[in-house]
Amino acid sequence: MTAFRIVTAAVVIGTALLASAPVVAHHSAAMFDDTKVVELTGTVKELQWANPHIWLQVIVDDKGKKTEWSLEGGSPNSLSRQGWRATTFKAGDVVTVRFNPMKDGSPGGNFVGAKFASDGRTIGRWQ
Amino acid sequence: MIRFAVAGIAVLWLVSQGPGIAVAQAQSPALPDWGGIWAMQGNTVFDRATVQPPTGRAGEPGVREFPPYNDEWEAKYRRNIELVKQGRFPDPVSTCGTLHGFPRIMNVPDVYEFAVTSNATYIIAENGPNVLRIYTDGRKHPSADELWPTYNGASVGRWEGDTLVFTTISLKGSKDEDVIVDRTGLVLSDASRATTRMRKVDDKTIEAQITIEDPKALKAPWSVTKRYVRQAPGTWAWDYACAENNRNPISGTGRTLTLGPDGKPLDKVVD
Repeated sequence: MTAFRIVTAAVVIGTALLASAPVVAHHSAAMFDDTKVVELTGTVKELQWANPHIWLQVIVDDKGKKTEWSLEGGSPNSLSRQGWRATTFKAGDVVTVRFNPMKDGSPGGNFVGAKFASDGRTIGRWQ
Repeated sequence: MIRFAVAGIAVLWLVSQGPGIAVAQAQSPALPDWGGIWAMQGNTVFDRATVQPPTGRAGEPGVREFPPYNDEWEAKYRRNIELVKQGRFPDPVSTCGTLHGFPRIMNVPDVYEFAVTSNATYIIAENGPNVLRIYTDGRKHPSADELWPTYNGASVGRWEGDTLVFTTISLKGSKDEDVIVDRTGLVLSDASRATTRMRKVDDKTIEAQITIEDPKALKAPWSVTKRYVRQAPGTWAWDYACAENNRNPISGTGRTLTLGPDGKPLDKVVD
């Protein structure tokens, strides 16, 4: 958890959200710590809407130090059937994201949910 | 049901008369409607009847099933389970270069389509993507000298009333875990073959009972039931081009890496 303490915007939510099903992947999820959910707020740089997984790129500014986070989601196929669209996240959107972090503290994770600052909308698992 | 049974017997008789009768089968009213979009029920543990812990998911450390492995293959499975715990049991499809293969094609996420035609049934899995071709035109399996081991093998089948019964042979099986059955570490040998009985049990459910024999790996036949649930009308299946934006390559030691947007690993250790 050291890396997340460095990023002061990050908050460890804990295990309350973990009862929900994880994102199905085409690969092992061993790199993610699914016992933890981390929350941080940043600005969307890009939503990569492509198979086998979508990737949400979020820039987090921590007192002037900007870090790009890579958050992996399901396939656009399955997400589109759950109501997501390629335009769900737009560059410049300010969002709070929750994710299972990478075990080694690298700036990446498995997407859990997000809340838009503009109107309070949520997507994914958010409770 | 009686109508199906009578029609099925008629189809079997027709098929037994040779290829020229296939036209008659095409006109049979007995072929069921498996149209629509379907999704496998439950997670991607292959044998959910034996999985421990019961809520375990494939790929989670310590999760396992209990196929009737002989000692050699039970030991092999246990080694794989240990590799899962170490994060070094990569899914071979992570490379986006190979198929899931049979029987794993019956056990994938996303959605399915089941295309029943007079001469063949096609199981189309969006994930992968994968297609299992099951020929029902009366042909036999190719002779041994015509076959080579493949991911999905060779499947021929027949209709028994509303039930598609097909046998799959000539499977690659696992050499160095290059083909797996699921991410708990389940594998089968190149001697494996399967008989599958598949039918629509109600308007919302298709069921496949898969019985696997593997004289190299199993002490007894292993039967697993998979179910597929009809999705809402109008649901779409889409392209699944796995290599389009695959940011999860495998390291030399079997670790699944995560690439950043610049294509370089985010992981602190790359070995």
